[in-house]
Amino acid sequence: MSTQLPASISEETVRQLSEERDEPEWLLETRLEALAALSDAELPDVIQTPGRRWTNLAVLDFEELVDPLAQTEERDLVSPESEVEVLSFVDAVAEHEEVVRDSFGSVIDPERDYLTALSVALFSSGTLVYVPEGVDAEDVKIRTRMEGRSLFNHTLVVTEDSSSVTILERQSSEPYSEEGMRYYSGLVEIDAGENSYVQYGALQNLSEETYNYTLKRGVTDTYSTVNFIEGNLGSRLTRSDIETELNGDSSETKIVGAFFGHRDQHFDVNARVWHQAEHTTADLVTRGVLDEEARSVYEGVQDVGRGAWDTNSYQRENTLMLSDDSEADASPKLIIHNHDTEASHSATVGQVDQEDLFYMTSRGIPHLTARNMLVEGFFVPVLEEIAVDELRDDLEELIAARLR
Amino acid sequence: MSSEQDHLKETDTEARFEFKKEQKSSFQAEKGLTEETIRVISEDKDEPEWMLKRRLRALKQFHEMPMPTDWPGQPDLSEVDVNEIVPYIRPDVETRGGVDDWTDLPDDIKDTFDKLGIPEAEKNALSGVGAQYESEVVYQNMQERWEEKGVVFCNMDKAVQEYPDLVREHFMTKCVPPSDNKFAALHGAVWSGGSFVYVPEGVTVEMPVQAYFRMNSEGMGQFEHTLIIAEEGSEVHYIEGCSAPKYSAFNLHSGGVEVFVGEDAHVQYSTVQNWSKNTYNLNTKRAIVEKGGRMEWISGSMGSKATMLYPSSVLKGRGASDNHITIAFAGKGQNIDTGAKVYHNAPETKSTIESKSVSKDGGRTNYRGLVHIADGAHDSSTAVECDALMFDNDSTSDTMPYMEINESTVDVAHEATVGKIGDEDVFYLQSRGLDDDDAKQMIVSGFIEPITEELPIEYAVELNRLVELEMEGSLG
Repeated sequence: MSTQLPASISEETVRQLSEERDEPEWLLETRLEALAALSDAELPDVIQTPGRRWTNLAVLDFEELVDPLAQTEERDLVSPESEVEVLSFVDAVAEHEEVVRDSFGSVIDPERDYLTALSVALFSSGTLVYVPEGVDAEDVKIRTRMEGRSLFNHTLVVTEDSSSVTILERQSSEPYSEEGMRYYSGLVEIDAGENSYVQYGALQNLSEETYNYTLKRGVTDTYSTVNFIEGNLGSRLTRSDIETELNGDSSETKIVGAFFGHRDQHFDVNARVWHQAEHTTADLVTRGVLDEEARSVYEGVQDVGRGAWDTNSYQRENTLMLSDDSEADASPKLIIHNHDTEASHSATVGQVDQEDLFYMTSRGIPHLTARNMLVEGFFVPVLEEIAVDELRDDLEELIAARLR
Repeated sequence: MSSEQDHLKETDTEARFEFKKEQKSSFQAEKGLTEETIRVISEDKDEPEWMLKRRLRALKQFHEMPMPTDWPGQPDLSEVDVNEIVPYIRPDVETRGGVDDWTDLPDDIKDTFDKLGIPEAEKNALSGVGAQYESEVVYQNMQERWEEKGVVFCNMDKAVQEYPDLVREHFMTKCVPPSDNKFAALHGAVWSGGSFVYVPEGVTVEMPVQAYFRMNSEGMGQFEHTLIIAEEGSEVHYIEGCSAPKYSAFNLHSGGVEVFVGEDAHVQYSTVQNWSKNTYNLNTKRAIVEKGGRMEWISGSMGSKATMLYPSSVLKGRGASDNHITIAFAGKGQNIDTGAKVYHNAPETKSTIESKSVSKDGGRTNYRGLVHIADGAHDSSTAVECDALMFDNDSTSDTMPYMEINESTVDVAHEATVGKIGDEDVFYLQSRGLDDDDAKQMIVSGFIEPITEELPIEYAVELNRLVELEMEGSLG
């Protein structure tokens, strides 16, 4: 485990980052605490089976990857006409310091592991989406284009009672003049108030010399809904964790994931949900395609706590392998402490159906075209789950582009 | 005391018992497992040099290997004191933690026997009472009939003496090496007793091979080793254990099972284990299946304080297949962590895993399984199905499957469900005049039927009866 502090990062670095952004004392403290936690923090847990570790995060050499004071990015923040506030972190701290202070670091424990602590200590680019009581906001868009060697991004979503918001966040990377690998880290915290509705979609299409770490976590209050959608196509290695803690009675979550790996890409995707209250519902749906030497690792966890009466929890994961050199690993887990539960999970791995292919080629469709149509068809159940039109269209476009 | 003496007089073990008692003290002085201990065991058994060497090598590995501690949600093994093993490694020694008299058994275990209606003669043998009963003539006759066909059934210790070549080739070499895990290493160092089964080419053993061993409680140590070799085209069904609780004051059971399934051979290994509720049950069971061979694991895990058991099959030859059917029942204070492992290492291999579990009164069941499809094992398929039934809010039911798929032309499916007993089902049965308990028992009996229908009738009856007892909460 290379969990040591890279030489390029010191308390001074963090102080400088914080000063440049004119941050209040408490935020600097949070950063410094996260920095101090790095000395004995572990890398995120990775599944191990006899003789194998599914993802090797120890390859991340932060000496090489991190250049904290040279983080630059281009950002577009689009907020619709309603009263929703979409602010850069600097503006957010100036205008809504209380909101930020209450929620920042409350959904994600900044010290949960090395990669998370590093992100909290060094983030330079951040967004607050603040939805006041009763406000309905659609089409909030955050677009981040990474320009330097590394970028640490933090998104905080706070919805007050009976509000709703739909957010689409995109990550991509601009070409970078220097050789070597790059690193993108994105944390997303969603603090959903009572009876509020959050739909958060992310599309990751980073360049393939980028290592990508992302942790998205939501907590629900009574009657609230937090839905996540994530599409992964870019990066060399992605470690993605999406988690919902259902703390409010009758709250719901849906986590929808799609990935398409090719060359030697490695996707380590994780979806987890904790049922802590009564009458909660969770639905986890992931579909992925692997071509060439790509590898996917999937863990899904449905944890039903002792007090979670009348729980409904479903999970399914399907992987399609287009190449013999690819590998698909999956581990869907159920942890149930309350018998008043209806829970199920399933996972399948297979290939394009030969009969379907034969039927289409017998109708005069060239082999490759037929295969591509079937792959696009495979994603349809996931695409149908996506409530954000723009995200759905973009994802379809990216899938089609990869097949060409 | 006097009753104990009388009891012993009725058996022919008295002389042996007295002799062993004198020996006892020499062992008690030692703490921990040393090379010396192993040498004494080996000498006691009059073993050849190669077996002693293997034991010593396993001992070294045991000392080097860590305890399994980093498995998500695993049972707590902190109570397992491997230094306390010494007094128990000679199964025929009085101090092994068994008792010498029926009356010394804990009440709950005696109750179980009474309720199961097991014959008096078998009661003693099965419960681990030191007294031994000679097998009846009927078993002897069967044995002779099989021996004519070249089938071998004998105690593992005897096999080391009489079939050294077969044992030397197969014993903890290719199937379960001592380096597999800490408890396999421990087992390799201190193993004692168990069964050896050899079925020559083309021979089918029509009846399950439990009749003989069931009475022969010498095969029931804490560290018994079972070795089954089924040659090409042969067929055998081996049944291990019994469905009454085996009592021992010592709380670690660490057995080893190795099965070699030859080309086109078919082996079924059934076990209904029910350890007393102070036992840590940590076993390693594995089969290697050659071309066209078929392995079936049928297991019912009952009793014990904690069980960690994952029977595995290595599908080595083209077209080999494997079926697992398991049931686990966890009641108060029990943590039953069990599942299956299958390695598809050849093309056109098939496996199915069907796992059922019931958790009640704060017990925990977990299905932990691994399916690995190696690169090149094309046209393989696997289907895993786990169903869990929960009775109350204090219990836990987990499912943790792992799938590693390196091959694209495969068909892999895993599914699991967890639920409670349907109120409507119970209501329906109650409306037909059954009371609440009977209705639930009936539903559970139906739930575990896939297991019971695979067992010989007397085992199926016992298993069902046992589940009923667990449901009544009259055990423990």
